[in-house]
Amino acid sequence: MRRSMVSRAFLISLVAGVGWVLLWAWLTRAGGPVPKLFFPSPEEVFDRFLKMWTRPYLGSTLLGHISSSLSIVLAGWVLAGIVGVPLGIAMAWWRKLKWIAFPVFQLIRPVPPLAWIPLTLVWMGIGDAARITVVFIAALVPWMMNSMQSVYSVDKLLIDAGRTLGANDRQILSRVVCRTALPTLVAGARIALGNAWTTLIAAELLAATAGLGYVALNASRMLDTDVLLVAMLLIGILGALLSIMMQLATRFLAPWSIRQSRGQ
Amino acid sequence: MTQTWVVEPAHWSAKTQATLYGAASLLGLLFLWIAATSIFGWIDPRVLPSPFEIALRFADLLVDPFGGATLLGHVLGSLKRWGLGVVTAAILGVPVGVLFAWAPLFRAVVNPVFEILRYIPPFAWVPIAILWFGASTMTQAMVVFIAAFPAIVINSQLGVQQVEKILLDAARVYGAGSLRTLRRVVMPVAAPTIYTGIRIAVSNGWMALVGAELIVGKNGLGFLISQGQNNDSVSTIFVGIISIGILGLLIDTIVQRSEKILLPWRGRLDQAGGI
Repeated sequence: MRRSMVSRAFLISLVAGVGWVLLWAWLTRAGGPVPKLFFPSPEEVFDRFLKMWTRPYLGSTLLGHISSSLSIVLAGWVLAGIVGVPLGIAMAWWRKLKWIAFPVFQLIRPVPPLAWIPLTLVWMGIGDAARITVVFIAALVPWMMNSMQSVYSVDKLLIDAGRTLGANDRQILSRVVCRTALPTLVAGARIALGNAWTTLIAAELLAATAGLGYVALNASRMLDTDVLLVAMLLIGILGALLSIMMQLATRFLAPWSIRQSRGQ
Repeated sequence: MTQTWVVEPAHWSAKTQATLYGAASLLGLLFLWIAATSIFGWIDPRVLPSPFEIALRFADLLVDPFGGATLLGHVLGSLKRWGLGVVTAAILGVPVGVLFAWAPLFRAVVNPVFEILRYIPPFAWVPIAILWFGASTMTQAMVVFIAAFPAIVINSQLGVQQVEKILLDAARVYGAGSLRTLRRVVMPVAAPTIYTGIRIAVSNGWMALVGAELIVGKNGLGFLISQGQNNDSVSTIFVGIISIGILGLLIDTIVQRSEKILLPWRGRLDQAGGI
């Protein structure tokens, strides 16, 4: 009963999706009520999308801009993980370290990561380093907070119980500690990646020589609305893909966490 | 557990110790900063100005206009645009969320558009907003709206879905009309979740506003920062960053506090074991 309702809603959504695109095409048709300068038609966007793979726009093809954006996001995200995870675990382990380091983070946290962009620009100039730094700042806090939380989530009683039942250190680590800690850690990684992507787009709008945000802003200045829409849609699609990838990673790394949340 | 230390007598609670360590750490950092800039001059003031310089610049900006307005003018400009975006998002978002929960057909029809737009980060809307509205208040308000709207819709939907059907049936049996049911049965249950959505929206909107003002605008705190960057005035950038952080914190605190005043029954419900 419930299942058929869900699939019915999906079907309606599918039909409605097609309907929305048709409405878009009808509104933006040649001689229609919405001029191209305001909003391009779907076929113009699609045409431009196909052309941009082969014909360079602002110095590189679409693939070049996409790989520029993705490589900076991944660099900042991975660096934040390399720093954030050990720091978070250490802060949970030694409470004095937490007492010392946590107030500094509390002080910095209310400032949106993108407010740092002008500062990094003054310090490092327009380049990959400035953007990687901003992405790093955006991704560091979720990495760190969730690593800290994941240590707290391990129940000492369970470790003792495992030990009493004759588990060795390796078994305790893999069967007890990782089981409880991994879901929180992976969730941190997912939030960090989402933040990183959002912040990178802002950074590219402000200072970049390649990347999807850079393409979007320049397209807006040159009134290339079709290019602008291609860039916006790609930003959305890539963000969604990154999020789906992290969900798959959760399923692969910590499948029990999904079963748990479904059971609740 | 029983060991006593000279520096931290056992009768000090962990909380006191944490505060002391935190204060020492922050003061140490401040001292290091002063030492590196004012005392030893290891760092070029054009790269990192001393705290005193930033304080002076702060006082300066309060009186002398920079980038077309004093600091207060920029703050008010930012708050105006932020308020416009967030209030519009709340006025439109709550009814849409209620409709999402109550009218599955409406939800199914609108969902494809909503989901696609939700995945596009608010800043990615800045270029198209510039194209539509130019460098005006509307551009920034639109970006704030886009950042705030989804959180309000989703949480309103969740909140309304929490209302148990039996309560609605009971209200109907006792002869309450739909408006009365909405006001007396649905809203008390849904309001805390909706409020959570508004709280998220408020801080998302603030963040988006700063980004939008950095990219385009004629005043506001983000604009102040970008002017500081253009004039190579790092101390102005710092004043902007600090003001944004303080205001963001202040807004969140006000929203959090006013929840207790606006929704006094929430705490009671939580104590009673949740909804």
